[in-house]
Amino acid sequence: MKPENQAWEQLFERAASLLSPNFADRVLRAARAGIDAAPSMLSQFALGAATAAICFIAVALVQARSAHQEDNRTMADWQQIAMAADDSGLPQ
Amino acid sequence: MDPSSTTALVDLVRRAQRGDEAAQREIILNYQHRVAGFVYAMTSRSDSVEDLAQQVFIKMIRALNGLQAPAQFESWLFRLARNTCIDHLRRQKLRRIFLPFAPEHEGVPEPLGAVDTEELDALRYAISQLRPQDRALLALVQEGRSHAEIAETLRTSVAAVKARLHRAREQLRLHYQSDHET
Repeated sequence: MKPENQAWEQLFERAASLLSPNFADRVLRAARAGIDAAPSMLSQFALGAATAAICFIAVALVQARSAHQEDNRTMADWQQIAMAADDSGLPQ
Repeated sequence: MDPSSTTALVDLVRRAQRGDEAAQREIILNYQHRVAGFVYAMTSRSDSVEDLAQQVFIKMIRALNGLQAPAQFESWLFRLARNTCIDHLRRQKLRRIFLPFAPEHEGVPEPLGAVDTEELDALRYAISQLRPQDRALLALVQEGRSHAEIAETLRTSVAAVKARLHRAREQLRLHYQSDHET
């Protein structure tokens, strides 16, 4: 028998020894419990893309709100300056 | 497969499709060692075998109702196993891009008490040098499947299987001999 063939036999024997004695029961329990097999690459990429999109939207909203608040503060400051100018009778 | 065992298999698969857990358990018991051998051939890593074999059988249970031809169960199961292993190998490859191991940490030590023969070590090394598609082909042949059954599993022609198998065997022999002789 070729050494390779012996090696293949050993490989299959070794693989069989790697399964736990109650393997079948564990599989059935996992299937019943709805434990997912590892997610596919596509679903992982989709999850990553969705997470990135949510982060981008959150950053954009915070940025817009912050800019709006800054505008309001600036407008209030100018209004105060304008009122002060009114009170002192300076030409507008 | 002889007609009487085909009939018994079809009956078993149909019962499993109806949700009969005893039938599902019997299928797992009948095929677990063959699937484990296939997974080990595909990945060459003992730490992946039980986990991946479990994934294959969970997918099998979930997808069984979609199998229109119970007589094709074995081809279908090994197609599932092949795709699961190829997905796993792709994820490993992607992971290595972002979290590369130092070369000395790349290999996984065998379980304590396990002593690999030189032949098994050489075979595992040789298999790891092949493309996943070629590993699947060789594993299916070692599993005892005919060219026609392999063509059905891989959804290709018998001629394509023969040509690819010839190349895969050449490559395996090359890597096996180069490791075995060092």
